Amino acid sequence: MDLLINGFVSFFTLKYFFACFVGVFLGTIVGVLPGLGPATTMALMLPFTIMHGPMFGLIMLTGILCGAFYGGSTTSILVNIPGEAASVVTCIDGYQMAQKGRGGAALALVAVGSFIAMQMGIVGLQIFAPMLARVALAFGPPEYFALMVMAVIILSNLSGGSPTRGYSMFCLGLFLGIVGLDPLTSIPRFVFGYDDLMSGIEFLPVAVGVFGISEIFFLSMKPYVPPSVKKVRFKELYPNKKEIRRSIFPTLRGSVLGFFVGLLPGPSAVISTFLSYALEKRLSKHPEEFGHGAVEGVVAPESANNSTAVSSLITLLTLGLPFSPSAAVLYAGLVMQNVEPGPLLFQNSPEIFWTLIAALYIGNIMLLILNLPLVGFFARLATLRPQVLMPIICIICLLGIYSVRNNLFDVWAMIFFGIAGVFFRKWNYPIAPLVIGVILGPMTENNLRKMLMGFRGNLSMIFDRPIALVFLFVTLAIIIFKIFNYFLARYALTKKA
Amino acid sequence: MEGERLFNIVQMILGLVIMILSLQLGIGTLKKPGSGLFPFFCGFLILSLAILIMILKEKTEINVKILLDSYAKKNLALMIITFILWILLMPFLGYLLGTFIGTYSFSKIMKLEGWQKPLILSAGTTVFCYFLFDYYLYLDLPRGFLGI
Repeated sequence: MDLLINGFVSFFTLKYFFACFVGVFLGTIVGVLPGLGPATTMALMLPFTIMHGPMFGLIMLTGILCGAFYGGSTTSILVNIPGEAASVVTCIDGYQMAQKGRGGAALALVAVGSFIAMQMGIVGLQIFAPMLARVALAFGPPEYFALMVMAVIILSNLSGGSPTRGYSMFCLGLFLGIVGLDPLTSIPRFVFGYDDLMSGIEFLPVAVGVFGISEIFFLSMKPYVPPSVKKVRFKELYPNKKEIRRSIFPTLRGSVLGFFVGLLPGPSAVISTFLSYALEKRLSKHPEEFGHGAVEGVVAPESANNSTAVSSLITLLTLGLPFSPSAAVLYAGLVMQNVEPGPLLFQNSPEIFWTLIAALYIGNIMLLILNLPLVGFFARLATLRPQVLMPIICIICLLGIYSVRNNLFDVWAMIFFGIAGVFFRKWNYPIAPLVIGVILGPMTENNLRKMLMGFRGNLSMIFDRPIALVFLFVTLAIIIFKIFNYFLARYALTKKA
Repeated sequence: MEGERLFNIVQMILGLVIMILSLQLGIGTLKKPGSGLFPFFCGFLILSLAILIMILKEKTEINVKILLDSYAKKNLALMIITFILWILLMPFLGYLLGTFIGTYSFSKIMKLEGWQKPLILSAGTTVFCYFLFDYYLYLDLPRGFLGI
């Protein structure tokens, strides 16, 4: 409790309050605007947060992440366009509620549900993160390596589409992450004589390129169709008693489900929404209402994704392993400020964690206050034409990436990955594993080499590391399960034929 | 599908090249892993997975929204050219003039109507960038031949 109080005392400065407000406001805008995801925006804002210290950056970027999940529901409900991927499910019933004139009620229930979910997520983060950090102190290179292998397998299976393509992109990301000087031997690797590559391929140009620039390319390739927005006035934001009663348990269930799903690698926010929707439909006494404006189908997924936003920080802060693109950006930001996330963060700089907790509590209140009265403003933002917004984003991408090292090579790299992103997406190669691989590459190699040197080449010593063995067995079980499923599906197809 | 096959072949070649270059770096031994060990495995996996994708003949659900028709190809090419020209000319023009011209060009490619709206947008973006990068962040960006 003392630590939390100290966290609040540290937070209540004008600088951090400003960072929190700007983060949640910007995040809400990003959530409303289709095309711009939280990871891209966080990557773009990273160069601007460097000069203000790690806490400022962490608060602002986390604010963007949480705000994006709040804001995504607005356009899902009013325009039937998801502001970001985790709000896709909300479109199904949210827009139907708006069609029936209950859009205001849906927005209010989602805002309150998101608030409750985030509060529960913050409490969970507060309780579990220090516990996991204490356990993680026992982790050595074999445990980290085994955990990363397990994360890769889970990530590639959950990224959607073909797992083979997911693995392929992850391996490419791992390779890109190790280009440059070998940290152990200082031998240049894959630099081909370019001095700019000696320090490696920077994470930001890759992230902004594949997420942001490729999205801008896509928007330029298709004619713009203006959306029609359902208007909602502030006085219409009142759900009736029945809607409130029906939303209580789905909110709580969504919050708990989202919290635990958020611990998984990959697009956990998206997964949590689909799981939550499916769960509510199964538990509902009126499943036929789903798809036609069921309150449960709106509040549960939104609660789940907001809870996920907070719990996804646990593996980053306690293990130092980012398992999602947004967490990867946060990791990059902390490392740029010489703050190493992981179990030692809680020993060496506990004030960082507790100030973040305080910022999340305050930011959550700010989000609730922003999202209800300003719902009309945010809804109108959804009609902002890409012809106006995208040129501004292009310039900010160019100048922002250039300003990191005052090096045009980074800008070239961003454009290259932007073009590559177009082709990856065209042929359904998921790009999230690529970005996570770039961050995890150096870590994975470092842990592998330390493990091999520690074992002195005798791999049977892995059997003396029970935690690592557990991770490896889980990995093996998932692989066997996937292979078994593949052959079972093929057998079923042949039998049908 | 031809483009996808070509992409697969490029992946295979990339994997093979990575493996060969890694061997040159030296993969070392299990007791003392060399600089090339990890990239060798990355290259091996990239090559193997590309072959697997080709063997399994995984049918891509071609996202019809991303089909490159002539309108899309033209706009994509124009965007890429504009980005490249910005990178080449910005050091000489300076970041403010580069911002102004770049914003105008991007807005016209995105089909913003007329000349007044793009002009206002360009001017507004330039002023915003000045206040953000120069006034607030004190960043040292190229001033160009005009020195602004």
